[in-house]
Formats: sequence, C-alpha cells, structure tokens
Amino acid sequence: MAILEARSLTKRFGAVTAVDGLDLAVGRAEVVGLLGPNGAGKSTTLHMLLGLITPDEGSVTMFGKDLHRNRVEVLSRINFAASYVDLPGTLHVQEVLEVFADLYAVDRPAAKVAALLDLLELGPLRRRKVMELSSGQRTRVQLAKALLNEPDLLILDEPTANLDPDAGDRIRTLLVRLAREEGRAMLITSHNMPEVERMCDRIHFMAEGRIVASGSAAELAASFEADDLEAVFLKVARG
Amino acid sequence: MTTTLPPLATLPPLGARARGRRVLGVVRRDFAALRRSPIRMFEIVFWPTVELVLWGFVTLFLQTQKVPFAVGFLLGAVLLWQVLQKASNEISIAFLEDIWSRNLLNVQVSPLSSVEYLIGLMVFSLGKVAFAVAVMSALCLALYGFGVTAMGLGLVPFMALLLVMGWSLGLVGIAAVLRFGENAQVIAWSLVFVAQPLTGIFYPVSVLPAPLQTVAHLIPGTYVFEGMRTVLNGGAVPWGDLALAALLDVVYLGISLAVFGWALRYARAHGKLSRFGE
Ligand SMILES: Nc1ncnc2c1ncn2[C@@H]1O[C@H](COP(=O)(O)OP(=O)(O)O)[C@@H](O)[C@H]1O
Ligand SMILES: [Mg+2]
Repeated sequence: MAILEARSLTKRFGAVTAVDGLDLAVGRAEVVGLLGPNGAGKSTTLHMLLGLITPDEGSVTMFGKDLHRNRVEVLSRINFAASYVDLPGTLHVQEVLEVFADLYAVDRPAAKVAALLDLLELGPLRRRKVMELSSGQRTRVQLAKALLNEPDLLILDEPTANLDPDAGDRIRTLLVRLAREEGRAMLITSHNMPEVERMCDRIHFMAEGRIVASGSAAELAASFEADDLEAVFLKVARG
Repeated sequence: MTTTLPPLATLPPLGARARGRRVLGVVRRDFAALRRSPIRMFEIVFWPTVELVLWGFVTLFLQTQKVPFAVGFLLGAVLLWQVLQKASNEISIAFLEDIWSRNLLNVQVSPLSSVEYLIGLMVFSLGKVAFAVAVMSALCLALYGFGVTAMGLGLVPFMALLLVMGWSLGLVGIAAVLRFGENAQVIAWSLVFVAQPLTGIFYPVSVLPAPLQTVAHLIPGTYVFEGMRTVLNGGAVPWGDLALAALLDVVYLGISLAVFGWALRYARAHGKLSRFGE
C-alpha cells in the first residue's frame, strides 16, 4: 500500500503552471526520485506534499489520511531537509536537536538526540553554533533533525546541492544506509545523476509541471536508448 | 510466534502531552536564541533604561520649574509603555528570526500548529516582559525613589491588559509580513507606535481633539493609562473601565488571530513561505 498518494496536483502562480495534474505515489520503504530541469516544478510538488503550498486542485493522502484535514498527525510522521533551508544559526547543534525533538514531540528525546549525534558523527560538534559549521556539517545536522521523529517518509529537496564531492558522498552513503537498512521511504530531488541511480528504486522525470517519464534507472536508460541517467536527462530536457 | 511492534518514536500527536511539548519547543528555541545572543540580552534592558533615565530627568526638570507633576506619571507611563511595546515587538521578532535564519520552513513543516506556535511566542514574550519590568522597577526606585507599587493593585490588570493588546499588534505585524513579504517588517515594528499618541500615555486623552478621543476610547491601552493616573492621584482602581478594556482586548485578539490565519492561508496559497529570504 502506498504511504503517499497525490492525485492530479495542480499549482499555478499567475500565468505559470508550476505543477500540472501530477499523480504520484510512494510505497513503504521505497525511494523515489524526482528529476527534471530547473523550474520543472519539483520543489513546488514537494512543498504541496508538506503542506507549505496549498494546491489549486488535487489531493494529498498520506498514511490513508488527507493531509489538509490531518495536518498535525501527518506532519508528525514525515520530515524534510533541503539545501535552501537552514537551522537557527546561533544555537548549538545539540540545542537545535532538542528544540526539534520538542516540536516533533519525540518520546525520550535525550536518548534520541544522543543516538543521532552519534549516527551523524556530530558528537564532537554538539556544542558548536550551527552557523560556525561547514555546509557538509550543517547538512548532517539537518539530516539529524529530519530523523528525530523516525519519519515514515523523508522528503529531501536537493539535499546534497551545496556540498563538495567528499561531503556529498558521505551524505549519500548515509542516505543509502537509511533507505536500505532502516527501510525508510524517501522522496528525493537531485541534479546529481549518479546519486539518483544509486539511491532510487523509481524515478519520475518532470518537465513543465508534468511527469514525462517514469521507471527505474535501468528501465529509463533502456527506453530512451541511453547509456545512463545523465543521457536520459539530456534527452528529456531537450525534448 | 509473536511480533513486537517497534515503540512509537513520538508521543500521540494530538494528545495533550505532545501539544505541551511543541509549545515548550517554541519557548526553548527562543530561550536558547536569547542565551546565545548577548546583544539581545543587552537589548532587553537597554531601551527601557534609556527611556527611564530620559523621562525621569524630564520629570525632575519639570518639578524645578514648579510644574505640579507627580514623578510617577511619566515613570509609570514609560514602564507601562514598555510592556505594550515589548509584548508587540517580541512576538514579531521571534517570528522574523525564523525568516532571517532560513528556519521558517523547518518550523512550518513540523507538526506544530499555529495556535501552539503563537502560545509559545506569547509565553516567551511574557517572560521577557516580566524581566524587563523587574529591571525597570528596580531602576525607578533606585534613581527616583518611585516604587511601582504606588500603582497598587491596579498594576497587575494594567500590565495584563497591555500585554494582550501588544500581542494583538504583534500578530498583525506577523500577518503583514506573511501577506506582503519581508519588507513589511517595518509595519511589524511601527504598528505599536501608531497607538502611542492616541492611547493617552503621557497626557490625558482629554487634550485630544474630539474625533481622536473617540478613537482613543476604542483602544484598551487608553483605559490603562488613564487608570494609572487616577490611581497615582490617589483615586481608586477604575475596575469598570478596566473591564471594558478587557472586553476590547478580547475582541482585538480575536480579530488579529483571524487576520493571522488569513495571512497564513494567503502565504500558503501563493507559495510565499518558501520565498522569504530570496
Ligand atoms: N512562490 C512562487 N511564486 C511564483 N512562482 C513560483 C513560485 N514557486 C515556484 N514558482 C515558479 O514555478 C515554476 C516551478 O518552480 P519549482 O517548483 O521551484 O521548480 P524546480 O524545483 O523543479 O526547479 C518555476 O517557473 C518557478 O519560477
Ligand atoms: Mg527546486
């Protein structure tokens, strides 16, 4: 059964139709990738799934419940991280996690925060201010925040966009581990094709607000007669 | 074979304990931000002190000019005005801080409801106002020998009424930012100053032209500042007026909550939440 089901989602900003009648589902423990050129409508889609943007048309159902009518319940079972958000910079890493442990009403928060500091190798940084950290370290803090409530669905918008190859690879390895070992479902956008190939069970290509191609990395490569996902991307993006 | 379900990672989200924790999270965040920012600690006492010293000396000067004027009038006014201004601005600051630190989306995608969020902001602003009032009261006594207890029993309702009025103004300020974007910060800061000349802080409302007097009597603060002068002149606490002010407070708080809700829905409908800071 799908834990996330979006039906005919549509969002217009003035004359721009950012998302156009999009259907999307994510199954338990499934990692789904959303690809497409800048402006394709990926972030708008994710934001509608998170309740940040109200769709003009369509519905979002998670865990069998309508998002808009069950906001608190649904949001407490999912989480989010993105390259364009940050955590309160003046707070210490541990404080930030304690704050969000409260906002997600995490049971036994002290143990959870300690475990995540450990998992993300943030122990030595726990008394450092977030704004003093490197982007790679900040991304790890964001992921720790995103894992506090042991989300059944993790929504990630270009999580590795600001990272150098080394930091990016560390995050990717961690995400793969979370997906494979903990069976955490994810919906992820990225412009890093090897990352998507490595992580995603299923991929949707978006262009101008619509899904124009779907399948596993191998299926997409085969159907577009391309060597890899990168080549698929170029074919899709250039029509 | 029995299968054991993994323990739930979070408290039941709609339960009272979870709600309490989420409110606590907002308070904890603001407290930690304050603790980590010495400038903001400094600010809590800086402006009240400056105003107090300034108006205290004005009073002393007026007295040397044989103007019959109770020391308490201006000092009490400055103190109560700070309650109003801080209640309003602290709420806006806490919200704007999320925008400045690009943390707004993290808060908005958490299960925190708007009501819980606002309660958290109010609780925290209450703490800061209480602290500032304590500092100012001590200064009043030390510098000018004016004890705020001269306002008697009225002091508690005076402050409570101004606090709630300040929260309403702060909410409208936040709503303006949600509706018009970050540039509307100016509105968030200045709204409370619109009330300043109208609410009879430093002079009785009777000096205002008649139409403005009517406006003044629609502002809860007016009854507080008039009441303060009555009490300092040796009169009784005007409970009837304060009850009217409380009624007005409730009405305005209701209206500003509605305005906030409307602005938040607007921001969600127009994709504004993710556009702050760009
Ligand atoms: N809040 C907004 N207001 C106006 N236009 C927007 C807003 N958000 C996105 N858009 C527009 O919608 C389209 C899709 O944007 P977005 O979802 O951010 O794409 P992607 O994440 O795939 O790069 C773009 O044309 C973008 O300019
Ligand atoms: Mg995007």
